[in-house]
Amino acid sequence: MKSSRRWSTAIKSTLAVSALTFLAGCAKDAPQDTWQPAGPNAEKIDNLQRPVFYVAGIVGVIVFAAVAWVIFRYRDRGQALPEQTHGKPALEITLTVIPVLILIGVGVPTVGTIFDLAKTSDTEMTINVTGQQWWWEYDYPAVGDNADVYGISEPIVTSGQLVIPEDTKVLLRVTSRDVIHSYWIPKLNGKKDGVPGRVHLLRLEGSEPGIYAGQCTEFCGLSHAYMRMETVVLSKTDYAAWVANQLEPYASPSADNALAVEGEKLFLQQCARCHQVNGLLNPDGTPNIAAPDQYVVSGAAPNLTNLMTRNTFAGASWDLLTPECRDDVWNASSAEFGAKYLAGVSEDCLNQKDLREWLRNAPEKKPMYADPTKLTETGGKYRGMPALGLTEDQINAIVAYLLERK
Amino acid sequence: MITTGSKFLYGLGTATTVAAILWFIANDGGSIGVVALAFLAVALFFIGAIASFVRDGHVLSTETEAHASSNAAQRGVGRSWFPFGTAFATGMVAVGLVSSPGIFKVGICLQFAMLGEWLIKNWSDRASSNPAYNEKVRSWVVHPLEIPVGGSLLLAVIVLSFSRIMLSISKESGPIVFAIAGALVLFVGSMISVRRGASRRIVGALAGVVLVALSGAGIALALDGERHELTVAAEEDHFAHRPCGEEAEEADEDAGRAVSAKSSVAATVILRDGRLFAEMDGWAGELSAITLQRSNPSNILFINEDDHEHRMVVTYGMITEDLGGGVSKDTVLEACTSLIGKGGTQAVSVVIPKPSFASEEPYSITVPGVEGASIEIQVP
Repeated sequence: MKSSRRWSTAIKSTLAVSALTFLAGCAKDAPQDTWQPAGPNAEKIDNLQRPVFYVAGIVGVIVFAAVAWVIFRYRDRGQALPEQTHGKPALEITLTVIPVLILIGVGVPTVGTIFDLAKTSDTEMTINVTGQQWWWEYDYPAVGDNADVYGISEPIVTSGQLVIPEDTKVLLRVTSRDVIHSYWIPKLNGKKDGVPGRVHLLRLEGSEPGIYAGQCTEFCGLSHAYMRMETVVLSKTDYAAWVANQLEPYASPSADNALAVEGEKLFLQQCARCHQVNGLLNPDGTPNIAAPDQYVVSGAAPNLTNLMTRNTFAGASWDLLTPECRDDVWNASSAEFGAKYLAGVSEDCLNQKDLREWLRNAPEKKPMYADPTKLTETGGKYRGMPALGLTEDQINAIVAYLLERK
Repeated sequence: MITTGSKFLYGLGTATTVAAILWFIANDGGSIGVVALAFLAVALFFIGAIASFVRDGHVLSTETEAHASSNAAQRGVGRSWFPFGTAFATGMVAVGLVSSPGIFKVGICLQFAMLGEWLIKNWSDRASSNPAYNEKVRSWVVHPLEIPVGGSLLLAVIVLSFSRIMLSISKESGPIVFAIAGALVLFVGSMISVRRGASRRIVGALAGVVLVALSGAGIALALDGERHELTVAAEEDHFAHRPCGEEAEEADEDAGRAVSAKSSVAATVILRDGRLFAEMDGWAGELSAITLQRSNPSNILFINEDDHEHRMVVTYGMITEDLGGGVSKDTVLEACTSLIGKGGTQAVSVVIPKPSFASEEPYSITVPGVEGASIEIQVP
């Protein structure tokens, strides 16, 4: 009686765990789903992983079933020990040949896919991707086809969101400035490590306009979990508009917007030491050149020239858009997506809460070893943004100024 | 009962305790020195307690026969050369004090070694009345120190001698000598290992002859000096940053032939038929402009396919130092390879801290002496 009850409990528990595991695969909002490719590179991986998964699944089920049957059928019931034999050449050869054939069947297309994914000879656009604790920088060099075909006449530097044209073979040159990171947009391709001093190549191509989420997949320190990234795919027309906007000369806030004018001054005093805003002038009229190499371990801080053309900030950890506006962009149809993304962040849509919390005390929101009393090991340099001790009035002014960075 | 021996140990233990307290006060606590001294004090008190318990191992003075046959009463056996060694080491210390810190340090180390050996030899000679046993006792104590230290010294002699040889012979001969020496070691070692009956004496003699020959050659070639290029490099302060002009032969501190640098190059710069161009992963064809990531170590490999010797120079802006009093000093940021001949390659590692637009002059790669040989570097 007791035994049957125990069996019943075990079976129920197993079924419950299995059902939960199964249902976990039905997540609706799964932006990093490797089973939903959105570009030819990811499709190549998908075409490989599906048959491998099915074959492995079938083999797994057979093995588990056989083991379970043997355990049950030949369980100890006090019977005599069966005759012991050694060696069964025919069976052993069969059990060796079958896995070998399966592995060949898996190995040949795997090698083919690896070579396909490593192909770079037909690259149409090249972008440098640099990881550092805990954000990604993207720079678009004004060299070769970038300049000749895509109109990138001056280098464009951005962060958080990588913007690429649809149906274009984009090659990322991935590296890192401090520790090893790993760049991965699951719907567009596999992952590639960013290693200091080395440049690794990764092909990305998106077939449909939209935003594709990713996550650093190499543990890189305290805020690894906050090191996210998004790739934005725009139609070629929209992409040209995006490039043109990024290359627009800097415009200071107009005198009508006194708060933003005040914000520009504050930005120069508090932020411009690390954050570059192209075209921003010092009070003496000379161009302001940020010097993150003097203040930050990695030697870099996000370029904020066109901050409000992005949807995220702080390593893509938080949205610059309110949830409603974000949903409006993320869920837009392919035809409408470009216009909605290019609209950038308006005052109404700005996620004031997170941005203000960030400006108030960035290390509290995202751990970054930014305690000034504990910087002896790094020669006084921060690993992220420190708390600047801004007043609420100063935050208001800086937010007003940043809102104009489109 | 506090015996004479234990009294010494208790005294030393107390002094160590006081030293630990003083150390603690002087170093604001938390120092590893306090822990070390405290452990030493505990050890001394413990040994002192043992000495008290065994009464210093004394036999009663009234038992004259036992006294005469006690271990401590035995004469030392054999002649010791440690006094001579200690005196020699003391001489080295004295000479080192007035001539060279190196000799002084070696003298101090030798002095400690000689005194330690002498101490243990004297102690072990009185361990029992059996000289063979005493020798065994000595070896138990000192072999765990003597063998690794001796082995390390022997290894140091071999490495030093071999390195002197390699620094003296030409660059072309170096790999051949290295390969032959390696092959010989492998061959002789294999022969010895497969011959079960190999005489230890013969093997030892062979090793001795090789060692003497190696160290002799090392000393002779060290006296003869390093090969010409290295001597020139040392005279010209090879590793300091030097102007990257057309003629200077020396290399820059940022230039390196490290395999690791060559294995991951950001760009390869080639001089061919008077044209300078670059190749980069991710960009097709020959490039007249390249892009490097800011604040990131980038290795640039230079390949000279021209008939004449050339160097590559990477120029990436200027820094202005404020020297105070309204005086400032401008320094051009540049790095260069040494002059390399046809077919030669050399890498330069640069970290460019500022974007290109921070400089009035564009960042560039040039080859002095080759007109029009220039590649623009874009640093976003």
